[in-house]
Amino acid sequence: MPGLFSRYLKYGWRFFSATALLVLILWLVYISLEQTYIFHWNQALRSLHNYNQGLKITLSISLISMFVSLGLGIIIAMGRLSRWTIVRDLSGVFVHSLRNLPFIVVVLLFYFGLRQAFPIDRLFSPWRRVEIWGVPIFDGRFIWGVLALSIFEASFIAEIFRGGIQAIHKEQGEAARSLGMSYFQSMRYVILPQAFRVIIPPLTNELVALVKESSLLFIISLEELTQTARLQYSTGRPFVFEYYTILAAYYLMLTIPLSILSHFLERRLAVGDRNR
Amino acid sequence: MIEIVEVHKWFGRLYVLQGINLQVDEREVLVIAGASGSGKSTLLRCVNGLEKIQRGQITVNGISIQDSKSNLNRARQQIGIVFQNYNLFPHMTVLKNITIAPVKVKRMRTEEAKKRAMHLLERIGIPEKAKSYPEQLSGGQRQRVSIVRALAMEPTVMLFDEPTSALDPEMIKEVLDLMKELAQEKMTMIVVTHEMGFAREVADRVAFMADGQIVEVAPPAQFFEHPQDERARRFIEQIL
Ligand SMILES: Nc1ncnc2c1ncn2[C@@H]1O[C@H](COP(=O)(O)OP(=O)(O)OP(=O)(O)O)[C@@H](O)[C@H]1O
Ligand SMILES: [Mg+2]
Repeated sequence: MPGLFSRYLKYGWRFFSATALLVLILWLVYISLEQTYIFHWNQALRSLHNYNQGLKITLSISLISMFVSLGLGIIIAMGRLSRWTIVRDLSGVFVHSLRNLPFIVVVLLFYFGLRQAFPIDRLFSPWRRVEIWGVPIFDGRFIWGVLALSIFEASFIAEIFRGGIQAIHKEQGEAARSLGMSYFQSMRYVILPQAFRVIIPPLTNELVALVKESSLLFIISLEELTQTARLQYSTGRPFVFEYYTILAAYYLMLTIPLSILSHFLERRLAVGDRNR
Repeated sequence: MIEIVEVHKWFGRLYVLQGINLQVDEREVLVIAGASGSGKSTLLRCVNGLEKIQRGQITVNGISIQDSKSNLNRARQQIGIVFQNYNLFPHMTVLKNITIAPVKVKRMRTEEAKKRAMHLLERIGIPEKAKSYPEQLSGGQRQRVSIVRALAMEPTVMLFDEPTSALDPEMIKEVLDLMKELAQEKMTMIVVTHEMGFAREVADRVAFMADGQIVEVAPPAQFFEHPQDERARRFIEQIL
C-alpha cells in the first residue's frame, strides 16, 4: 500500500519538523534566559519526591472525582430527560448554573462557604490522619476538593451523556419497551451501551479537563501537584522556572496519554460500528 | 382477544384517531390498509401502549392497555411488534438480540434462551448468523430476525407495521413467507401492509382506514371485489 505508506511518511516528517522547530525555539529562549538567570536544575530535581507525593494526591483526587462525576452525571442526564417537568427543570438549573461558573469560584464557594454551613468533613475527623497509599483521604481539604471537582464536572458530563442518549434513536428504546423491558432495563441494556460508544471521545476530553482543573485546588492549600510546586519555593531556593517547568512536565505526563487515548478511541469508533 | 373501543388519539391539534372500534379474535389475521398518514401506525402503537390514547379502551387478553404501568410491561410480553425499520439492537449479536428479552424480562435461564433462539434461527434458515451483528445481515434477514426476536417472548398477538416496505423486492417474499407460516400456525395478527397479495391470501378480514377512522372491514374477497366505501374503492384501483 504505497499510498498509505507515503501518508505516514508525510505525517511523520511534519511531526518531526514541528518538534525540531519547537526545540530550537525553546533552546533560543533558554540561551537568552541564561544571560540573566542562573539555572539550578540539579538542586531543583532533588525535590522530585515531593512532586511524586503531589502526583499521588492529584491522581487520587482525579480518579475519585471521575467516578463520582460519572455516576452523578448519568443521574442528572436522566433527570434532564425525565418525564416530569419539575425534575427536568431542577436538573436543568443545576447544570446551567454550574457550567457557567469559573471552577475557582465553585471551589471558593464550596470550601469557604458551604463547608461552614455543612461541615460534613467533621464527621470524618476521627480518621483525619488516616492515609491510604500516602493520601489523607479523610482530610477536610481532600473531601471538599473531591466534592467541588465532582459536582462541577458532573454538570459537564451530564450534558455529554444527555447528548449521547439523545443521539440513540428513540426507536431503540421503543423496541426494547415493546419486548416488555422496563424503563431501566431498556436504558441499561439498550440505550446506555450504545450511548457510551458515542460519548467516549468527548468523555475522555472531559476527563483531561478534570485533571487540569484539579490544579486549582491549590487555592484551598490541598497539596496536590500545583500546590507542591508552589511550596518548593523558598528564599534559599528561588528556582521558580525550574519548579514550574517540572510541574508542567508532570501534568503533560498525565494528560497527554489521556488525549492520545481519546484520539485513538475517536478514530476506532468512527471507522465502523464494530471491528471484532 | 384484542378489543379496541371508541379510541380517540390526537397529537396537539392533529386529530389522528377519531373513534376507532375494532375487535380481533383469537387466531384471526387482520390486515389494515389505508393511505399514508391515515393513522395506521399510530393505531398499532396504541395497541401496545407506545402511544397513550386520550379516550376509549384498548384491551389485549383482558389486560387494559391504558391503565397502570405494571400491567403494561406484562401486557407487552404477550404482544410482539415488528417495525418497518427492524429496530434490531446494533450492539448485540443476532443471538443476543433474541435472548436478551427472555433472559432479562422473563428471567429464563441463558442456556435455555440460547437453545430456543437457535431453534428460531434454524427455522428461518440462518443459524450460522447467530454470532453476526445486525449490520452484517441483508434487509430480509434483519426483518426475519426481528420477527423471531418478538416470537422468542412467546407472544399471543403479533403486530406488524409495514414489515416489508423498507425491503428490496427480492427480499419481500422471504419475510411474507414467514408471516404466512405464523398465520397458518394460528397466531393472532394485525398486519399493516400495502402487500395486497398477502392480504388476499392470508387475511381473514381487511380493514381500511381513512382520515382516522376505519371506514370498511370485510373479508378479503368481498373487500377487493365489492368495496363499499368510495375511498377504499379508489385505493384498490390505485394499487391493483
Ligand atoms: N409523535 C407524533 N407527533 C405528532 N404527529 C404525529 C406523531 N406520530 C404520527 N403523527 C402524525 O399522525 C398522522 C398519522 O400518522 P401514522 O404514522 O399513524 O400514519 P400511517 O397511516 O402509518 O402512515 P404511513 O402509511 O405513511 O406509515 C400523520 O399525519 C403523522 O404526521
Ligand atoms: Mg405508518
